[in-house]
Amino acid sequence: MAETIAAVKEPYVPTEADFRLKNNTEDILVDSNFASQSFWKEVVARFKKKKSAVFGLIFVLIITFFAFVGPVMNDYTYSGQDLAKKNLAPRIPLIEYTGFFDGHENISTTSGTKTINLYFENKLADTFYWFGSDNFGRDIWTRTWSGAQVSLIIAVAAAIIDMIIGMSYGLISGYFGGKVDMVMQRILEIANGIPRLVIVTLLLLVFKPGMLTIIVALMLTEWVGMSRIARAEMLKLKEQEFVLASRTLGAGSMHIIFSEVLPNIIGPIITQVMFSIPTAIFTEAFLSFVGLGIPVPRCSLGSLISEGFNSFTTHPYQIIPPIVVMALLMLSFNLVADGLREALDPKLKEM
Amino acid sequence: MKKYVLKRVVTAFFTLLAITLILFILMQLMPGSPFNDEKLNDAQRASLYAKYGLDKPIVVQFFQYVFNMFRGDLGVSYKISKNTPITQLIASRLPISIGVGFAAVMIGALIGLLLGLLAAFKKDTIWDTLATVISVIGVSVPSYVFALALSYQFGFKLKWFPMLFSAKDVIGSSVLPSISLSMFTMASIARFTRAEMIEVLGSDYMLLAESKGLSGNKLIFSHALRNALIPIITVLAPLIVDLMTGSLVVEKIFSIPGVGSLLVNAIQSNDYNVVIALSFIYSAMYIGIMLVVDILYGIIDPRIRVAKEGD
Repeated sequence: MAETIAAVKEPYVPTEADFRLKNNTEDILVDSNFASQSFWKEVVARFKKKKSAVFGLIFVLIITFFAFVGPVMNDYTYSGQDLAKKNLAPRIPLIEYTGFFDGHENISTTSGTKTINLYFENKLADTFYWFGSDNFGRDIWTRTWSGAQVSLIIAVAAAIIDMIIGMSYGLISGYFGGKVDMVMQRILEIANGIPRLVIVTLLLLVFKPGMLTIIVALMLTEWVGMSRIARAEMLKLKEQEFVLASRTLGAGSMHIIFSEVLPNIIGPIITQVMFSIPTAIFTEAFLSFVGLGIPVPRCSLGSLISEGFNSFTTHPYQIIPPIVVMALLMLSFNLVADGLREALDPKLKEM
Repeated sequence: MKKYVLKRVVTAFFTLLAITLILFILMQLMPGSPFNDEKLNDAQRASLYAKYGLDKPIVVQFFQYVFNMFRGDLGVSYKISKNTPITQLIASRLPISIGVGFAAVMIGALIGLLLGLLAAFKKDTIWDTLATVISVIGVSVPSYVFALALSYQFGFKLKWFPMLFSAKDVIGSSVLPSISLSMFTMASIARFTRAEMIEVLGSDYMLLAESKGLSGNKLIFSHALRNALIPIITVLAPLIVDLMTGSLVVEKIFSIPGVGSLLVNAIQSNDYNVVIALSFIYSAMYIGIMLVVDILYGIIDPRIRVAKEGD
């Protein structure tokens, strides 16, 4: 109190020491001059700037390449069994001389750990399993990549189909508004309240698992999110002049929805598709783990992981390739999707 | 506000009803009858059908089914343990699942928060990059990958924790499953906290508070953190979904006698009744939690309430 009175009498003059720099140089915008260029060129430029996204894209491309080329790179097939050559550790020609990938494996026994090399014990000097062989003598290299191929096909197909369904649903609901929108949104709310995994599991119990049924079941899981985005974008755009102009010229509703509005919202839609691919890969892997995945002899990353799980303490090399490929694939797709989201919508705040 | 809550509750109720209808239809589609034992003759089978009410018209059966479900009578198991009421099967398993799930949320929320704050305060340093890398990995890599890795390294190699769940050491054997389930929670909360915190730290009211001369701690705890944390419930919904799916596989990996592993066993041994009953429980839990989250949104951010009322 006394201080306040003193301050009134004699106004306090701040000195230099009372101030501190805010250090907001990075917030101060610097004008830069951009030459006008097409939308997609700008997107590519922005995408390239984000290192993690480029890294993700490279991994997606590498894995996709191996998923289609890997299975034919050696003479084994994904279902060819050879019980004489089961549970062999990874062995790669040339690299084997470094001591890695030479076919040795550590077996823990009651008396301690011992290192054995089944290739020499079974006199298989000319046999090479790059990633090892599994319990039935199948080549894990071939199986990993053909599994990745199956997982990728399922995930991409499911993502594209649910894009088409979700997008159409959202666009139609948003464009017509009123009663149509009300009914469609109530249906959507109920669909959204149902745990998707439960429905996918039950559907696969009723309709026996196969590539097509899995795609159909996965398709049902993601369309809700897609339709929300499409509807929100439609609500933003439908009052704009170009829609009015098109309507004045006599365009029908379907023309406006799919030829006028759709090309303008392609950015968020692509981003959402990229995000739904890893989700689909995950759900497929989950289904395989539960025993509702791709039926044998075909395999997917999920079914390989669930097979490897049975012997993962004795032969860990059997589970490592599918699990690493799957983790990398999901990580890379997420990174690409993140990068695309920012590249396609520069107004978005940095997350 | 009342109107908003009422609307949410009504929607939740209809969703639950819709789920029950779908479950009922799927149950009719399931291959095989529960009484396809060859030793039964037609008369015995008919009496069994009458006993369980399976001879009545399908519409009556549906209402009976809905009535039983909501009353808590979930039927009996046919395969896993014959003629045991499913409620009894679940009663001992639910607490274990909830315990592990709760521990996972707690670990995830705490570490995620710290990680997010660290990243926000040390923005654009090596800490920030590290936290971002951890959270990207946590969001994109499924929980059972972590479960397998942890179980191999700390359970099998180092033997710090038991690899499989044991009733004698509940706490010790819950550590690894809880950590593997917490990764997604941790990563999403870290990501979200960082983004919110950076936004709040750059806001005008923080500048004002700072220029008023508030001390660092007070600034952070009563101004920045409070405002940054409120929207954290917006990440709750995806967390719940992930916990539920993650727990199915993680419980199987660590052989935890919880609801998730019961569901997996029921699927693998074609015990449809148990699958349907557990699906109902999962759906009811999910819908219940979503309802709470939705109402919380409405209380905290009136804009959402207004937007949804306006529909």
